[in-house]
Amino acid sequence: MSDQNPAAGHVDIAVDRVAKIYAQAVVEAADAAGCRREVLAELGSLARDVLPKVPQAAAVFASPKVPAEEKAAVIDKVAKGRLRPTSVNALHVLARHGRLGMLGAVVAAAERLADERDGRKQATFTTAVPLDDAERARVVAEIERAVKSPLTPTFAVDPALIGGLVVRIGDTIYDQSVATSLTRLGGRLHQRNIQAIQNGEYSWRT
Amino acid sequence: MAHLTDEIASVLREEISRYESGIDVREVGRVLEVGDGIARVWGLSGVMAGEMVEFPGGITGLAFNLEENSVGVIILGDYLKVTEGDEVKSTGRLLSVPVGDAVIGRVLDPLGNPLDGKGPIVTDLRRPVETLAPGVAQRSPVREPLQTGIKAVDAMTPIGRGQRELIIGDRKTGKTAIGIDAIINQKHSGVKCFYVAVGQKDSSVAVAIDTLHKYGAMDYTTVIVSGASTAAPLQYIAPYSGTAMAEHFMYNGQHALIVYDDLSKQATAYRQLSLLMRRPPGREAYPGDVFYAHSRLLERSAKLSKELGGGSLTSLPIIETLEGEVSAYIPTNVISITDGQIYLQPDLFFAGQRPAMNAGISVSRVGGAAQTKAMKKVSGGLRLDLASFRELEAFAQLGTDLDAATQQRLDRGYRMVELLKQGQYAPMETVDQVLSIYAGTRGHLDDVKRDEVADWEKGFLTFVRDQVPELRARIESSKELDGESERQLEAAIAEFKRQRAAGAGRQLAGAR
Repeated sequence: MSDQNPAAGHVDIAVDRVAKIYAQAVVEAADAAGCRREVLAELGSLARDVLPKVPQAAAVFASPKVPAEEKAAVIDKVAKGRLRPTSVNALHVLARHGRLGMLGAVVAAAERLADERDGRKQATFTTAVPLDDAERARVVAEIERAVKSPLTPTFAVDPALIGGLVVRIGDTIYDQSVATSLTRLGGRLHQRNIQAIQNGEYSWRT
Repeated sequence: MAHLTDEIASVLREEISRYESGIDVREVGRVLEVGDGIARVWGLSGVMAGEMVEFPGGITGLAFNLEENSVGVIILGDYLKVTEGDEVKSTGRLLSVPVGDAVIGRVLDPLGNPLDGKGPIVTDLRRPVETLAPGVAQRSPVREPLQTGIKAVDAMTPIGRGQRELIIGDRKTGKTAIGIDAIINQKHSGVKCFYVAVGQKDSSVAVAIDTLHKYGAMDYTTVIVSGASTAAPLQYIAPYSGTAMAEHFMYNGQHALIVYDDLSKQATAYRQLSLLMRRPPGREAYPGDVFYAHSRLLERSAKLSKELGGGSLTSLPIIETLEGEVSAYIPTNVISITDGQIYLQPDLFFAGQRPAMNAGISVSRVGGAAQTKAMKKVSGGLRLDLASFRELEAFAQLGTDLDAATQQRLDRGYRMVELLKQGQYAPMETVDQVLSIYAGTRGHLDDVKRDEVADWEKGFLTFVRDQVPELRARIESSKELDGESERQLEAAIAEFKRQRAAGAGRQLAGAR
């Protein structure tokens, strides 16, 4: 997803809150221009594909030392003609308000908002081993049927799960991983022993 | 060893064969920041206010503040083990504590975990810590007395089962002593007792528990401890969880007594939590809902209607004042919530009047209906007489000459004050109280020297017990002082006085 994915660790509520406001503006402007999907795709690839490859550009965007006019000039040079006018304008607005540094968060929030308006939910599928495309499609279809809602899937791999699948939709986690099952089994055995001790039927002797 | 391995293997096999691999569905959040017993959590978007949440390692918390982007959680347990980034699970349940006979005689923390080293609490019975108080239709008026065994309290500010009587006073004026005495006196009444120690020094709590043990009161008492070193969230919920344990008996048609020692410290803990949660401070920096925190707690003490079993929960909240300041925020709040107060004063305490109860401003708003007929008859007007005596005494100190009637009222007052003095941990039976107070209020002590009043009382009670037991039995069983009993009592007093005078004469002759 983005740097605002809580699973990724650090969360900044302040950034999240501001990003939501810009995201709403971006989505509504794109809707008015009738090109929501394109605008989101452009901004998304800028935030996720381009900027990480050019760390200097990201640093310039984030730095408050660089005046807004210079940022605007950079945006014009890089984006004008290549991106849609709505996307370029969005970047300009962010630059003018000194919020260009949170482009990633804005894009993520915009994608979430767009999905919400389409009645889709964002879902993260985590498995112990990478899935191939056919498996992915099957898993997503299966879960979509279970939660009765179309999903925008993201896939992640975490070997610590050992096996099985963990799906996160919003704040709800559907967990059928081997790791969690083992933890639960351990907890149950533990509980059983405590009960046995309490009821005085503990018979194990060493 | 082989035997052990086999047994473990068989248990594991059984457990695995019964294991259903269900999907674990949970709603989660992530700890953003943690400290001082509270955590701010990102996520948990579906959590409800007051819902229990779970941190890794089985530490529980309560959703306290629901904000736009985060949830404020109070951590009930070791908050030092919770770190930033930890996953928080919502449980969909409310906080509950074990209740029932299993908790009787135990020392517990506010979550119901034992602190006395007497093994686990084995029970399936649990009650939510926060419940709604019984409504109007579920209650009946307070009628039965709850005897504290303290003459001054039972005669002047009688407490009924289901009543809330506040004990208020400065530090070191004997507030806890009244609560402990009331608990000790329930030994034969079948009332289950709960002593909730909030924010107390652990040494004081240890002394209280030791006293209860010594007088055999721990057989029917539960002590809920969250001492001064416990985190504020636990101090805040301790009274509620103690009440939950006591309520269990009330709803099962039994009677319970709960002493909150003390609610000022709970209010302080709640203030700490609220300020850390950035709720706006109000008067004395307490949050706006500190009144509700106490009113919803004390409202749970009730006398239930017959249809619900007629059980009752009596509460004795304790409030500590600073320099006798009863118009501070928390004292006025709790005074207005409770059905009366016992006001203890340091100057009376140091003048040797113990319990140091100020008769003028101590009241019981409903307890009169709960007094036994005998007690009502002998103690009627006692409180007002004593209050007016205090005024008269202050006036008499000016050294003016007094007319005979005034002097007589003063003498009566001095003797009543002497009579109402009572040692700690020495609760008196109701019938003995009736006998003593009868002698005092009917003027039979007027010719006894002030420093001999206690001795006279002791001798008289022994005399009645030994020489006219039928009178004692009659009053005890009928709980009434009818004309016949009164005649007998007058005769007994006259006879005792004669014997005492004769005894004193003999002693005098012997000394000569």
